[in-house]
This record gives sequence, C-alpha cells and structure tokens, in this order.
Amino acid sequence: MENKEKNFVSAVIYVYNHEKALPGLLNRINGILAENFEHYEIICVDDRSTDGSVKMIQKFAGKVEGASVSILHMSYYQGVELAMNAGVDLAIGDFVFEFDKVDEEFPGELLMEVYRTSLTGFDIVSAAPNRAERWTSRLFYWIYNRAAAGRAPLRSEAFRILSRRAINRVHAMCQSIPYRKAVYASCGLRTETLVYEQRSRGGGISGEERANRRDMAFNSLILFTNLGYKLSGALAGLMMALVIFIGIYTVVIFISAKPVEGWTTTMLFLALAFFGVFAIFAMIMKYLTILIDLVFTKQRYVIEGIEKVK
Amino acid sequence: MRETENYDKIIIGAGLYGLYAALFCARQRERVLVLEWDDQAFGRATYINQARVHMGYHYPRSLSTAQKSAGYFARFTRDYEFCMLKEFEQIYATSAQFSWTDASQFQKFCQAAGIRCEEVSPSRYFRSGMCDGAFLTTEYTYDARILRDYYLERLGEEAGVSIRYHARIRQIYQDGDTYKVELEDGLSARTGFLLNASYASANQVLKKVQDLYGEPFGIKYELCEIILCEPSEHLRPVGITVMDGPFFSVMPFGKTGLHSLTSVTFTPHMTSYESLPVFPCQEKSQGSCTSLQLGNCNDCPAKPESAWPYMSHMAEKYLREEYGFSYKGSLFSMKPILKNSELDDSRPTVIRRLSDKPTFVSVLSGKINTVYDLDEVLSNGE
Repeated sequence: MENKEKNFVSAVIYVYNHEKALPGLLNRINGILAENFEHYEIICVDDRSTDGSVKMIQKFAGKVEGASVSILHMSYYQGVELAMNAGVDLAIGDFVFEFDKVDEEFPGELLMEVYRTSLTGFDIVSAAPNRAERWTSRLFYWIYNRAAAGRAPLRSEAFRILSRRAINRVHAMCQSIPYRKAVYASCGLRTETLVYEQRSRGGGISGEERANRRDMAFNSLILFTNLGYKLSGALAGLMMALVIFIGIYTVVIFISAKPVEGWTTTMLFLALAFFGVFAIFAMIMKYLTILIDLVFTKQRYVIEGIEKVK
Repeated sequence: MRETENYDKIIIGAGLYGLYAALFCARQRERVLVLEWDDQAFGRATYINQARVHMGYHYPRSLSTAQKSAGYFARFTRDYEFCMLKEFEQIYATSAQFSWTDASQFQKFCQAAGIRCEEVSPSRYFRSGMCDGAFLTTEYTYDARILRDYYLERLGEEAGVSIRYHARIRQIYQDGDTYKVELEDGLSARTGFLLNASYASANQVLKKVQDLYGEPFGIKYELCEIILCEPSEHLRPVGITVMDGPFFSVMPFGKTGLHSLTSVTFTPHMTSYESLPVFPCQEKSQGSCTSLQLGNCNDCPAKPESAWPYMSHMAEKYLREEYGFSYKGSLFSMKPILKNSELDDSRPTVIRRLSDKPTFVSVLSGKINTVYDLDEVLSNGE
C-alpha cells in the first residue's frame, strides 16, 4: 500500500495464559498495522502468565520488522483492568487499540473500520460482537445500564480504539481507572460501537478470572452507579418508617388497652433509639459513598519491569 | 621498515579522555603519541551524546555517583566554561507512571546529595497527569566542537605531542619493559606507558595486546541514536528530562542552537551482550566495522533507521504543545555499559591497571566530567 496512515498507533494486548491463541492474534494485528500504518508499536501486557505466552511474544518479536514490540511484565496477577491501565499508560501512540481478550475472534477488516470511524470524530470506538452473552454478563450490563441511565450503555466488547485526547481526558478526570469501560462511557467524549457478527464464541475463562470479574462487577456497580447507596438508603428509610409505626402503635395501645406498667416507656425508648440508629446508618452510608469517591482514585498497579523486545 | 620511535606515553583514542591525558602528560614535559582510528578527534562518544555535564541528578538511586558527579561538576565547569551553555532552565520531572523514583523521593535525594532542586508546577511543562513533580535544577551542556578545537589548539602548542589519525593498529606486544605498537602502514612506536582510552573499543584494544593477561571489561554494547532537533520558541531556553525509567530527555545540545532528543527505550537500537561487540549490521557495513574493530556508526552505510517517530511521540505524549520541536538529523554511536551498573543505574569510572613496567592502563567512563580521575594514574610524581 502506497498511502500509509501517518498517525502513530499503539496496540495494547492483554495476555494471561493465552499461548495457544496469542501467535495468531499477534500476527493478524501486526499484519494489518504494518499494511496500513507507517509507524506503530505493539505492547503486550503480561499479567504473570504461567504458560509459554511470554516465549510466544518473544518469538513473534524476533520476526517483526520495522515496529517496536514491548512486554510489560506485571509483578503478579492483577486482572485485566489494572494490567491494561498500565499498558495504555506506556503506549505513546496518537491512537491506542485495546485488546482485552486474546481469544476473541473478529474479522480483520474491522480493525481499520474502527480506526476510520474514530477519525470521523469519535474519540472512543468499540467493536462488539453480536451474540448471546453469558447470563451473568447480561444481568450485570442490564443492572448497570439501568442504574447508570443517561450515559453510554455498556456491553461486551472485543476491542476498542482510544484517541490521545480520550486518554488525556480520562487521566484528567481521575487518577486511576478501576473499570475502563465505565470511565470511558462517562468521560463525556463521543463514543461509537460497531457491532459485528461473531462466527465462533471465544474460549472459556478460568476460575481465577471468573472470580476477578465477579469482584469487578460488584465494584463497578458500587463505584460507578449509586445503586449501593440507593439500596441501603431505601432500606434505612424502610426501617425508620417501621420504627415510627411501632411508636404510633405503642401510643395507641397505651391509650386504648392499658398495658403492663413500664411496657410503654420501654417501647417508646426502643423506638426512639432504633430511629436514631437507622438515621445514623443513613448518614454513615452517605459519608461512605463520598469517601469511596475520594479514595478509589488512589488505587495503583505495580509492575516489575518493561521489556523492550524489538 | 622505519625506525621505532620512543614515547613516554602512547594513548589510544582521541576522545576527551585521550586528549585530556595527552595534554596532561605534555604539561609534564612528556613525549606523547595519540592514535586515533577516525580521521578526526572527538568523532564518536565525546561528540555523540546528550552533551550533558552531569551534576548527579541522573542517579537518584546511586547517591555515591551523584555526589561524585556534583564534586566534579564544579571543577569541570570552571575549567571548560568557554564551551558551555549555562543559560537555560534545566527541568527534571518524575513521571507519574512507571518511574522508579517519585517526586518526594527525588527531592529527598537532591537534599542528600546537596544539589539544587526547586519545585515548579508540572502543569507548566507537561500534560495533565503525566508527571507528579517537576524541579528546576542547575545543569549545563557542553559543546564538543568547541572543546575539541580548544584541545587541538593547546596540543598544537605542545611540541611533545603528536596525534596520528587514521591509525590502524596491527598489534601491540611487550618488549622488555616497553610496549611496542605496530601499525598497518609499517610505523611502530614504543612506550613504557600505554593508555587505552578508546571507550567502546576498550575490549577490542585489549585483545590486540599480545600475551596480556587481562580480563575484558564486563560490558554490554548499545548502538545509540541521538536525535538533533530544532526547538520551538518555548522550548529553546529549556531542557527537560523525565525520569527515572523508560522516559526521554530533550535539552540544548551545546551551543549549536539545537536540542538533543533521547529516550531510554528508543535511543538504544541494538544491544550486544558479548565481550566484543557483535552486531548484525556489521555484515552490511562493507567491511568498515567488525567485532574486532568498530567503525564510526555515524558514517556507516548500515546505520539504523531513525527512531524519530517513536522518540518524538513519547515526548509529545508528555509535553505541552508549545514545547514542540522538529527533526534536524540523527547521530549514531556505540556505547559500552558496565554490566554491574544496571541495578542502581550508577556510572562509575573504571580505571584498570593491567600491567606494571611496562604500564598498561585502561579507562572506561560514561561521563565527561569524571575525566579528572585520570590525574592519579598519569601523574609522574607518584
């Protein structure tokens, strides 16, 4: 191709025990980038793979010409979000491709389609498979999208592209990014999702990763939506209403039924005390939500080293 | 065959260390011969580097190197003021991510080393969130061309010194209590004191010395690229170094009006871990460079393609738009790195005395202002 793109692109790939699928993906990505871009780099973020993934990358790097290939070694398993954060931080491109899932099948032309779409003015463009997701994912996205109404809805994605502007914006917004999709969706820049027909479903996920994803699902709901606060607020409200009802009931009994001596005072005292307790709970809830907002931005990842392979 | 000439000292390599030694000895009224492979002095590492006169800021993980640098800095700036550019703001910044040292650690380190470090707002120079600290420091840059002319002029005044360019050493061997150096063109010279100041070729020179029991230096070799660029108006009076990790530096290059651009990840193009430098590009060098004799990378037909797209992108990722620059050219050079200095990033000067009577000394240093370390070995009064 004569007219290669002048923009510098980075491809950041999350690698965690993907030795089987990795060579195929690397070669495919590299082929497309080499054909279309004058200059690009590939960054593989190795989240402490225990199989031969790193060897695969090194072998691949040995064959590559005219591009930079780096491996970012995470110190220990930290999950896709933190690892990809590190990878994107290292990337120097004008545009950065994020590949979260190595074993995801997607049509090759989609890569450039996503890039060209972003050139038309979208800072974040995702490619999402059109397929039935796991019911757990479906449930999560359903709850999340309802709770975070008004922002761009989330869904399972194969990969996405970010403009440098989007990365800068996200950095300016918060220091750390516990769940990228949610931050990207709420960063206020224009986003677009390209849906493609999926030919085959990606491989299974490990128990470790499943646990990690479950954690992330709960964390994201708490951090990016006010679901937790709403839920606990509603509960506290309900309990307070209940206590008020008990108070009224006690007064009514006192007037109409002449209860045993001391019962009324005990009941009134208890009702008042519980009311106070729930009111305090409600306030603590509020404080906690504010604290979470402040504190979660301190989360940092640890890396062991950066290996420049080519 | 011509007669063998006698010299008090023979120095291999006409870089700063070689010429400094030559002048030092000439002033001790010694006869000195300098042998240089290239057709000019200061053609390689002395010229092709960041031209930074180190004050020690670069070594936040090696206080000893920093203190030593700071000590030599004062002396070097006094002795060579004429070739120095001092009037610019030298900014050191710590990257928010991937840095081995953060802003407060850097400040503490500067205090311990006793070097200037004034905090300035990172947002003045850097994009939001990229650096967690920026510091105004005192550091200078030297102009290798001016320094070279100074040395050549001074040495020209000394009758006892001769510099032989384009020198092709065939072999060096011991002859009684002298070393005999034979050149390819038939010339030979004899000396009781041989100084190997050839930097990247240090091990190659050692190999030329027959029957010498001498371990080669434990070094690896990096083929490095320094990019020269034209700074924007904003950048012109500023030097910026982001540390401590895979970052970059863009700072004035002597008095040339240009800035040098380097980066930890992209400045080294290739690395050789052998004791002699073995590089795949040597095959394409048309015989001008082998593992036994390094050519000048800058003149090599097989020099690598510039890493400008990479380095410029890295810098642009950090710097605010007004601190822009444009490409002027690239300089390539071989850099030997002592293997044991990786962990703390220190750059000690190694002076090794490999034999006595005749004396053979090899020097290897990654920094220009530690040149005074040579005084001790060269001095007659010992």
